[in-house]
Amino acid sequence: MDTFSDLLAGFAAALTPQNLVLALIGCVIGTLLGLLPGIGSTAGIAILIPLTFTLDTASAIIMLAAIFYGTAYGGTITSVLLNIPGEGESAITCIDGYEMTKKGRAGVALTIAGVGSFIGGTIATIGLVLAAEPLADLGLRIGPPEFFSLVIVGIALLVGLIGESVVTGLISASVGMLIAMVGIDPIAGLPRFTFGSAHLFDGVSFVPVLVGVFGLGELLANAGGTARRPSAPTLRELLPTRTDLRRAAPAIGRGTGIGFLIGLVPGVTNAISSLLAYSSERKISRYRSELGSGAVEGVAAPETANNAHANAALVPLFTLGIPTSPAIAVLMGAFLMNGLTPGPRLFVEEPLLVWTVIASLFIGNAILLLLNVPLVGLWTRLLAIPYPVLSALILVFIIIGSYAINNSIIDVYLMLFFGVVGLVFRRLNVPLAPLVLTLILGPLIESALRQSLQISRGDFSIFLTRPISLTLLIVAAVIVVSSVLGSRLKPQGKADLPTDATV
Amino acid sequence: MRRLTVFSAALALAAVTAGCADTSEGGGATTPGDPADCFSQRPIELVVGYDAGGSTDVGARMMATALESKLDATINVVNRPGAGGQVGLTALANAQPDGQTMGTVNFPSAIVSVLDESRQAAYDRNSFAPIGLQVIDPSAVAVRPDSPIRTPTDLVEAALAAPGRLQATTTGPASNEHFVLLELERVTGATISPVHFSEGGAPATTAFLGGNVDLLLANVSDLTPMAANGEVRVIGVFGDERSPFLPDVPTFAEEGHDVEVASSRGYAFPAGTPQECVTAMSEAMGEVMSDQEFIRKMQDLGLAPSHKDAEAYAQYWTESTEVFETLLPLVRAER
Repeated sequence: MDTFSDLLAGFAAALTPQNLVLALIGCVIGTLLGLLPGIGSTAGIAILIPLTFTLDTASAIIMLAAIFYGTAYGGTITSVLLNIPGEGESAITCIDGYEMTKKGRAGVALTIAGVGSFIGGTIATIGLVLAAEPLADLGLRIGPPEFFSLVIVGIALLVGLIGESVVTGLISASVGMLIAMVGIDPIAGLPRFTFGSAHLFDGVSFVPVLVGVFGLGELLANAGGTARRPSAPTLRELLPTRTDLRRAAPAIGRGTGIGFLIGLVPGVTNAISSLLAYSSERKISRYRSELGSGAVEGVAAPETANNAHANAALVPLFTLGIPTSPAIAVLMGAFLMNGLTPGPRLFVEEPLLVWTVIASLFIGNAILLLLNVPLVGLWTRLLAIPYPVLSALILVFIIIGSYAINNSIIDVYLMLFFGVVGLVFRRLNVPLAPLVLTLILGPLIESALRQSLQISRGDFSIFLTRPISLTLLIVAAVIVVSSVLGSRLKPQGKADLPTDATV
Repeated sequence: MRRLTVFSAALALAAVTAGCADTSEGGGATTPGDPADCFSQRPIELVVGYDAGGSTDVGARMMATALESKLDATINVVNRPGAGGQVGLTALANAQPDGQTMGTVNFPSAIVSVLDESRQAAYDRNSFAPIGLQVIDPSAVAVRPDSPIRTPTDLVEAALAAPGRLQATTTGPASNEHFVLLELERVTGATISPVHFSEGGAPATTAFLGGNVDLLLANVSDLTPMAANGEVRVIGVFGDERSPFLPDVPTFAEEGHDVEVASSRGYAFPAGTPQECVTAMSEAMGEVMSDQEFIRKMQDLGLAPSHKDAEAYAQYWTESTEVFETLLPLVRAER
């Protein structure tokens, strides 16, 4: 019960009016930063660290942590309402979120995303309280071979994303994989497909590609007058119905599980969690046939997963002192700047501080829920702006956002180019989801494969002799085999029907 | 565009607060060389070739704030991340040499990008006028606490006994860590195999702590917190003297294995910047680096302060280039 009394003391310290206000300010700033594509939590926290110099340590970290998860929610708002993914992790939410918006169900999507984020974040924080140390050990078991096999599971889930035509699905996946191959070879160190431009050495950055394919692609398609335009929902349509909640609940549960477990692995970003959560829904949800055309599960699962991931990612920071993502690295900088070294000793040396920060994670998640659900009505009013005006604003917004990522005009050109790609995909009925999946997983699978082979000195059996890796590979095989058999067994007449799963 | 306004307001606020938090000792005395001509008309742009929030950025923002009060000028930090600093250096090399644009220079990447023709750098050593050096962070090697390897000599002997058996993390080909392995092999004949983690230090650390790789190679600043936590044992530092952060850890050189590899962070103007501007900035930087409060703040962040003025930095640049010229063919041989 020691933990419990520590946590209570933490709550007592975190619930002072000053800390509450700071958490609130952090959530608001985070949400606002998240709205602009390109300014993610990393840059947000980095820029605002000086603001916290005058605060005491706990307050400073509470505020920065609030910014950290506030941005995740801000990105959701633009994804759902405007089809602009603010960050990699909310890209997949665009697919069903924006379809819901087109059906006038934007309010429901945002509310479910808020509730899912709250549940995912809270459960992940409870995990942090109860079992931080064993969980951190679990994260360490995921070495390069295990990670490779995990990504293979992700790629296997691709079969669920492919939609009505295998050919168009594979085209989309291959384009994503090709884009992912641009950049400096991770092992040989030589540039590939960079055309001598240093801007491409790190690979094509995700955000301009995603913003182009989703945001600009949609704008261009609308300009042609073919796509359905979103409309602002009425007040009654803002709240989820009982059916929505019943359908979202299992998706939120699965999203929490996936996001939490993957968040424990240092060096893996939120985007993977939300992708895997979405792909799993496509594969195992009861309503999987509706995913892609505005199903509530398609918002609930990835949004829950990415928040569960964000909170679980603090486990390796507190227990091992490893920053699991760039944003957490900046947060770690805030600890260091205040003379604290994150790691196991922090629990012993500064227990009150650690528990105050953990308590503030619960409070911050609650604030985010209380802040955002009532504001859903306000956000959806954005859609009441006449479409010609709104589309011009969106264009300005995505151009600024693309520039802001690296302060680079090249990213703006990339975004424009991929906007045209997005339009072509829409016209030719090529689904976008496989592209997102391979674009994000591509670089990871390459590094993990080659690192594994360096470790094993070229011996491929490393993937089969390690239990976790073997288990994951079996899971991947089961997914692929069951999908192939499943489609074979389908009655002939039904197979020809469009599954309505294209985006 | 309300959001943008909010954002820029927040930025401005951040800048103001940072300014207040900085305690300058010099009392605002004007530096000799009359910097007013160089720096007062327009804000100075400080190009940081790395992401906001990274350690280069954190050090540069601290330096910018301190220089502002020394020079009575405005310095705007602009992040131009990409290609391990190459994008930022390209922007710096192409900027007007009027004293209004300066940039961060990190070794070894600023040198390697010039020497490695596959990177097609649009600049070379002569494109820059060095201002001064802020940080030298030597590489070091750590083992798990239960490892029988305790000293640099233990490591060399273990590697000599079974060539290529021991594996070490690097942060990518032609990174500091990779150079450590190549230089160690060149000097002692001991072969240690690299496992390249181009994505950076966190996955490398995870693979090491998870028992997948024997040795963790990293900068002293990255290893210090983990050593304090007892997660790793640092066995040797690749510096010319012991690190103040790890006073109990010997250097490889003191055990007779003369391997020195460090990353360093400094600043430069584009070549052709008026000499008086370079001198004025270099002197202001020297004053900042002699401020004990500033040094203490850097150390809190794990930034190892090490100052060189414009002239000493230029010489260090030349010497470092010679070292990497001998090592780069070894990287090529591995490709």
